[in-house]
Amino acid sequence: MSQPVTRRAWLRGLAVAAAIAAIGTAGTAAAQQTLKFGLAMPLTGSQSAFGKDQIKATEWAVAEINAKGGVNGKKLEVIVLDTQADPTVGINAVNRLVNVDKVPVFVTAWSAVVKAVAPIANREKVLELSIGANAPEISKLGDYVYTSFPLADIDVTALANYTYGTLKHKRVAILYVNNDTGVEAAKVYRSVFEKAGGQVVAYETYDPKATDFTGMLLKVRTSNPDFIHLHGLIADMPIVIAQMRQLGITQRVSTYAGGYNPQMVEKAGKGAEGLIVTSLAPNEKQNPNVGPYLERWKKAENRIPNGLPYTQYLYDAAYLVAALYEYVEKNQLPATGENMRKALLAVKTFELPMTGRLVVNDDHTVRKPVNLLTVQNGQFVPLATVE
Amino acid sequence: MFDLPILLQIGWTSVATSTYYVLFALAFALTLKVAQVWNFVQAGTMGLAFYAMFAAMLGWGWPHPAGFVFGLAIAIAVSMAVEVWGYRVLRRRRSSPLLLFIFAIVVAEFVAYLLSLLFGTEPQSLTKSLASEVHLVGGVAISSWDLNALALTAAACAALFAFLRFTRQGQFLYAVADNGELAELYGISANRAYLIAMVIAATLVSVGVYLYGTRASMIPSAPLELMLLAVIATILGGIGSLLGAGLAAVFLSVLQSASILVIPSQWQSSLTYLVLFVVILFFPTGFRVPAWLRRG
Amino acid sequence: MEYIYSVLILIGIYTIMASSFNLIIGFGGLISIAHPIFFALAAYASALLNLRLGVPIPLAIVLGALFSAGMSVMLSLPSLRVSGDYLLIASIGFQLGFVEVIKNIDFAGAASGLTGIESLFSGPFRSLGFTVTILVIAAAVVWLVHWLTHGEYGRAIHAMRDDEECFASLGRNAMAIKITIFAVGSGLAGLAGALYAHYFQFLSPEQFGIIQSALILTMVVVGGMGTTAGPVVGALLLTALPQVITFLNLPPSIMAPLQGMLYTGLVLVFLFVRPAGLVGKKLRQ
Repeated sequence: MSQPVTRRAWLRGLAVAAAIAAIGTAGTAAAQQTLKFGLAMPLTGSQSAFGKDQIKATEWAVAEINAKGGVNGKKLEVIVLDTQADPTVGINAVNRLVNVDKVPVFVTAWSAVVKAVAPIANREKVLELSIGANAPEISKLGDYVYTSFPLADIDVTALANYTYGTLKHKRVAILYVNNDTGVEAAKVYRSVFEKAGGQVVAYETYDPKATDFTGMLLKVRTSNPDFIHLHGLIADMPIVIAQMRQLGITQRVSTYAGGYNPQMVEKAGKGAEGLIVTSLAPNEKQNPNVGPYLERWKKAENRIPNGLPYTQYLYDAAYLVAALYEYVEKNQLPATGENMRKALLAVKTFELPMTGRLVVNDDHTVRKPVNLLTVQNGQFVPLATVE
Repeated sequence: MFDLPILLQIGWTSVATSTYYVLFALAFALTLKVAQVWNFVQAGTMGLAFYAMFAAMLGWGWPHPAGFVFGLAIAIAVSMAVEVWGYRVLRRRRSSPLLLFIFAIVVAEFVAYLLSLLFGTEPQSLTKSLASEVHLVGGVAISSWDLNALALTAAACAALFAFLRFTRQGQFLYAVADNGELAELYGISANRAYLIAMVIAATLVSVGVYLYGTRASMIPSAPLELMLLAVIATILGGIGSLLGAGLAAVFLSVLQSASILVIPSQWQSSLTYLVLFVVILFFPTGFRVPAWLRRG
Repeated sequence: MEYIYSVLILIGIYTIMASSFNLIIGFGGLISIAHPIFFALAAYASALLNLRLGVPIPLAIVLGALFSAGMSVMLSLPSLRVSGDYLLIASIGFQLGFVEVIKNIDFAGAASGLTGIESLFSGPFRSLGFTVTILVIAAAVVWLVHWLTHGEYGRAIHAMRDDEECFASLGRNAMAIKITIFAVGSGLAGLAGALYAHYFQFLSPEQFGIIQSALILTMVVVGGMGTTAGPVVGALLLTALPQVITFLNLPPSIMAPLQGMLYTGLVLVFLFVRPAGLVGKKLRQ
């Protein structure tokens, strides 16, 4: 009885394998006339609220570029794949983009994914543009990994110096979430603050899944800081702040660009008053394109985008890729990853509509002015700008 | 670091937050005791109850009591379905514990995927703001959430105890827990007992997720991890002892919070797993005072 | 073609995982969900041995697998002393706890993950080299499991499962057999892990969660527990299937949870309709 069953099962398996092979090769035979680039972002998963908005921004920009005639008469095409902000899924997505869709350049974000797919980019000589992830390590991931978004050291450094130099707080407590976002950034904050002459009186971490921070917060309370820097995720930061205030910890709090989100105010309530956040993208007053962009969001989605500054960078990603293609087309080079990289380094300085001037340094880093905002009466208002 | 106000604060808050763990542990311990099944489907029930409440309270704007009842109804309905069409069928076929386990954990995972399909995976809470009123009593911050949680949990435990001790059905549950076949001979329906145990468990976890959802944020994969503490508490308290499970849950919660005083914060969550191993190595039948200590 | 290679490599790796898991759960009757952890332990061990101590990769891979086998005894010995059910609970704790521990160990990359792992092969034939190696190893593993479970030793295993007390009364040591099976299975999982590490060149603790356990379990159940070909069919189907689904171009926001529901749904259907799996003969319950 088992023999025929086994054979049937084997045949079934082979049929499936044959099907994939067929679909795979069919996929690559699709029209090659467009200028393609990949976009590997979380469409599902806990980060999808940010991922989806960022994808939308890029898609809007692509449509705009094509409406104006595309690049050299050819249409720009973005191929979007889901990463769930998960390294394994990300690797699969990028493998597809590189090997099946044969893109010469792709955009991705979330530090874990950026790092996981770096070996693929380097091996296959495809340009990886990390946009939004901020782990300092990213600038050292290899020849084919570049970022157009300033890494953690930029905004965290600005915050630390501002807190010590301008706000004149000498004792700070650092709280960070125990994952790649928090760990790296906390280290940067500490070293910058101490170098400026300040003292780090508490340096505590918490698990991303924790819901009760009483013990940790009490430790902070006894250390008696002048100021607290919190580096977590939007899922936990409002809860930490809410519990902080309930335990009678009244010191002012700062966080990074991830806290520039209406949910912080909504969930933490009055406790968020005075919160200092950073933004690495220009606001309406600093850049005339931002106003209409926000209007468009309000009309289309009835809200401002999640992680507004990040979406600005992803909007510009399309323009950045278009500029690379322009160089490659102008110099009649084949659109390979190698040439895209060459283009990036040759052009070096880009004027992008939503985020202004971008200069790609040889050490794979970029510098941008840091906007500081604070929460006043439940609204984010500009505080200062650090160059 | 060891001064009194701090210890009191940690003690108070950790007991307050142990409330939902107690409920989850009691539910798990009950189904294990009565039906002899490691009911991992409970994670699915927890998820469904929470998201039902979420949809009602924040989606349709229902007041909290109504939303709670809705979530409760869903939890009970699902538990009954799982018992009647799942466990009962497998039991009738005399399936091995392996199959029962696979069934339970796969249903829990299926539910987690379903919930992420329907609700996305962003963290959600049952209230817009997570801050609640705080009263300072002798240097210890006591929030109205704390008081609410303790009251609700105490009421739930009292109701459970009363049911088990003073009603016939409650007695039947004990009988079936003790010896299902013997109970059948006395005319007690084992299947009915299993069903009732599942329903009670569903009620307990509904209260539990309500409390959790008003203090923290939930994502579809969270219940499986919340269950872990419930499982450890059940083992630590001694399989078959509901009181033990409840106390163990409180103990573990307090231990986890208080540990910050002596170990660096990043190792806090690993502590729970360490306890699990210690329990399995040294107290597999629960924490019983060893005989020689008792005598002496 | 590159893409096909990467799918084949994944199929190979999952075949090793599913086969070794089947050895433990299907043949040995040991309920554990910590299988991915032994995969991870060897992956990290092999990567670190090579990265920090300069051990040549093939040797590192073997040492990694042995490390996993050794660690498995740490899990199986105390748990099995009590009962089979305890192995289940302990394995859940082991699974979740290990992830926590790794997140805090700096030299293993901590929460940010371990980057820059060396590749076993390099150059233009890298993918081909990997594909051939892994498929050959996978075939060897399947054959090994078959040999273990159908020879002399196999009869002992069946006797132990059929009636443990009788088995013990005949002077055979059930405990020793169980621990050995667990160790062999875990060691093989470790082998898969070490190969994975040197192919993908990146490890992070998030990759080894409960989801992985569910996936492997699905492969074994759907393929057919307690059979040799079952896990292979399961691995093939469940690695290839998601790839096919992604080509169907469904709206991405429903794709991931839909995939998850498909796997778990499949297991449930098989549990009730065909507990023997695709390949299996009627299992005695």
